[in-house]
Amino acid sequence: MLEFLGSLDVILQDGFMYAIIAMGYYISYTILDFPDLTVEGTVLSGGVAFGLLVTAGVNPWLAMIAAFLVGFIFGAITGILHVKLKIRPLLCGILVSTALISVNLITTVVGMGGNLAGDGALSTIDVGRSVPTLIRTFPATLLPTDFFGINPRKIISFFIIAVIFKIILDVYLKTKNGLLLRAAGNNPQFVTMLAKNEGRSKILGLAIGNGYAAVSGALIAQSRGNINQGMGIGMIVIGLASLIIGLSVFGRVRFMKPTTMVILGSIIYQACLGFATFLGVPSAYNKIIMAVLFTLALVLSGKLKTKRGKINA
Amino acid sequence: MLELKNIKKYFNAGTVDQVTLFDNFDFTVNSGEFISVIGSNGSGKTTLLNLICGSIAPDAGNIIFEGKDITLLDEYRRAKFIGRVYQDPKMGTCPDLTIIENMALADNKGKNFGLSPAVNKKRIEYYKELTSQCGMGLENRMNVKVGALSGGQRQALALVIAQMTDIKLLILDEHTAALDPKTSENIMKLTDKMIREKGITTLMVTHNLRFAVEYGSRLIMMHEGKCITDISGKEKEKLSIDDLLGKFYEISIEKGN
Ligand SMILES: Nc1ncnc2c1ncn2[C@@H]1O[C@H](COP(=O)(O)OP(=O)(O)O)[C@@H](O)[C@H]1O
Ligand SMILES: [Mg+2]
Repeated sequence: MLEFLGSLDVILQDGFMYAIIAMGYYISYTILDFPDLTVEGTVLSGGVAFGLLVTAGVNPWLAMIAAFLVGFIFGAITGILHVKLKIRPLLCGILVSTALISVNLITTVVGMGGNLAGDGALSTIDVGRSVPTLIRTFPATLLPTDFFGINPRKIISFFIIAVIFKIILDVYLKTKNGLLLRAAGNNPQFVTMLAKNEGRSKILGLAIGNGYAAVSGALIAQSRGNINQGMGIGMIVIGLASLIIGLSVFGRVRFMKPTTMVILGSIIYQACLGFATFLGVPSAYNKIIMAVLFTLALVLSGKLKTKRGKINA
Repeated sequence: MLELKNIKKYFNAGTVDQVTLFDNFDFTVNSGEFISVIGSNGSGKTTLLNLICGSIAPDAGNIIFEGKDITLLDEYRRAKFIGRVYQDPKMGTCPDLTIIENMALADNKGKNFGLSPAVNKKRIEYYKELTSQCGMGLENRMNVKVGALSGGQRQALALVIAQMTDIKLLILDEHTAALDPKTSENIMKLTDKMIREKGITTLMVTHNLRFAVEYGSRLIMMHEGKCITDISGKEKEKLSIDDLLGKFYEISIEKGN
């Protein structure tokens, strides 16, 4: 058990890091009811944008904002495909994330000064020790790197970033624009009758959701020390499972904000994965465990929903 | 104020199932009128409202509103001057938002939805005042999600919301049909009161012949995409339900059933 507690720092750090994808899904999946597959591409895009900018000497906070904007734009493209060209949600995500495989690779290779015709040696960006990332620059440098054997700097930095993005989302959802977004997911016809284009709200929501995914990508890059082209794989499941676990476990807690539930859900999900590792399950099984956990979360939340439905009826 | 000219509307155009609903349909709404629209199922009442609101486009013809051609204007742009209440009480409000949040959105209709706080606390008293006219106790449940309200309560709220901002035209599509008789009666009275107070030009589709006779300043009857009866003024005041039943009877004789 002590060993499991020993991995608590990684669980928390990963929990905060992936919670930002899950918050993005709170907008696209929960509010807009849009199962957005673009995320697999935009997580990596965010990582690539962040990695290239910090290695070029750009301030990491600015690089993170740039990552958000990159995700925002690609998310908007998914939204435009759906709203303007009437393509189904799942297909829109597949189309954009497929194109992003090339976009991310080309950006990486060109950004690293490589040659597209040459070998693939430059498809990885290193953000290791020599690169001034968020955790190696002010104000994170005020935090110690060793505290009874764990490194609180990463945990606290990632915690603060997750909380910042949580608060931004909470505040946004209370603005006129945010409330309109919630209305667009709830009853699109209502938005039309408010003399607003509901399609635009949807596009904006998907853009924000992918902006969040890209920010998470920037954190993942720093956590791993490099950005490789496979980084986005599995992110859809991590994001959605964290979201659904959070909302179904804490859904009945009064006065708890959904964004808080999502962060807690993300930590629970990482703890489950950590526990499997602790039990000695080889890491090759990781994705199977992820899929199983996700299925459990879906079943659990479905049960809760039908129960509520019956009470209401 | 509103004119439909030479409107043609087909469904399933170019297929064997082609239905020609409107063929050179003309219709004029004058400012200040409260028009009841009756007619059997499939006679084109909802389609008429959809054409006016821009939910669907005509295949030919023009729609003129206050001198401007709005035939190609998007539905959401027309909504600036049109309020609409549907038969389904779920359509007119957002179930997951509270009464206050629904009303705050409606209060901002036609304005910019920016990054200022959605709910202005100073307006809440005003929202309560508006909902209290419904006489359904909504004013005591302002923080309740609308999805938890009864159909009648939701419809009353939808009605308040539809004309919170200054609209020029109110469109009601069988808005009392999904309610029990007593609630239906209450909502109809409320509708009439609101329309009188604000003097909004109104088009109301109803299956309730008594409502059509008792309320409104003009009555039209639709049949197979045509307006076969158009009664207003003194004649409308004298109209009885029996007269209308007679009209329905005439139609079915013509059709030979
Ligand atoms: N989307 C549609 N596709 C095919 N036919 C339609 C469609 N909408 C309406 N119609 C046809 O137009 C006619 C009028 O429908 P509607 O305007 O809904 O009638 P009402 O509201 O008077 O009952 C009906 O006969 C119906 O078959
Ligand atoms: Mg109808």
